[in-house]
Amino acid sequence: MEMHTDGNEIAGLLQEVFVAEITDTMRMCESCHHESPLGAHRLYTGAGYVLRCPNCGDMAAAIAVRPDNYALTMRGTWMFGRVE
Amino acid sequence: MEGAALLERLAAGAPLTWRVATIRDIRPETEHAKTLVLQVPEWPGHLAGQHVDVRLTADDGYQAQRSYSIASAPAGPDVELTIERIDDGEVSPYLTDFAQVGDQFELRGPIGGYFVWKASLEGPLLLVGGGSGLVPLMAMLRHRRAAGSDGDARLLLSAREAEDILYREELDHMGEDSVAIQITLTRGKPPAGWSGSTGRINADMLAALGPPPSEHPRVYVCGPTPFVEEAARLLVGLGHDPSIVHTERFGPSGG
Repeated sequence: MEMHTDGNEIAGLLQEVFVAEITDTMRMCESCHHESPLGAHRLYTGAGYVLRCPNCGDMAAAIAVRPDNYALTMRGTWMFGRVE
Repeated sequence: MEGAALLERLAAGAPLTWRVATIRDIRPETEHAKTLVLQVPEWPGHLAGQHVDVRLTADDGYQAQRSYSIASAPAGPDVELTIERIDDGEVSPYLTDFAQVGDQFELRGPIGGYFVWKASLEGPLLLVGGGSGLVPLMAMLRHRRAAGSDGDARLLLSAREAEDILYREELDHMGEDSVAIQITLTRGKPPAGWSGSTGRINADMLAALGPPPSEHPRVYVCGPTPFVEEAARLLVGLGHDPSIVHTERFGPSGG
């Protein structure tokens, strides 16, 4: 059985890192070019968190919460909404 | 930008802070689930579909954190969480078995902006829930009722047995009122006189409930991961645009 959930589950952590709510932020996968909101990305939880493209499974982000910082690897194109 | 939209934007950009919630009331919902009515100081308000993070701290400093969907409508004075007990969970057994009125714990939120519905959005609403995946969908239906919306709204709910159905009476009232509700039971024999469906959700159930893809309903699916994957696959198979099928999954354990 697949053990993933989705990006909604770490909306709070993402808001810590980005100081904004970003589950409705669209991201384009660099592998399959599929565009989808971060909330719809698959989430795999282990020692850290890995978000994957819901279409092809390619990595979107890896997040580790460390004592002094967040170690974040981001891939693909993230389309953050502009604040008017 | 209109006032409400501006406030929403400001709230969305504010850093999340942990607040101390006090349990004001506890309502049993089923054998395994309870609703905690919480008083949260300086609660900024929420949108239907959002969740909170709950953090429990043991005497030795060990912390456990989980996400729970908000069950209450945004208009309500309190924040209500419906917690289903996960037998080997770290947080839910405490909240359902030991927490008492007056107890306090840490909470932050509201959280989330993708799995959110507002009564001001136009078009039909189609909700598909598996088990306690009903909770954020119920916040949407309660919000719809509180807003006096008479827009097309439909719910397909999958539950294991009749005794596991959350908010049963309230759903009955909503069903008599203006929400088309179909419930399917996946386990055991249905009770005598059961008028709903039986078995796992399938394309026929979704097609019969409608609305058809041509009416472009906004679709929200919440439940355990395998349920959500299957429901989303069926909905897209029926012709619904994948981009309007909003999904929220929760894991099989750990609650």
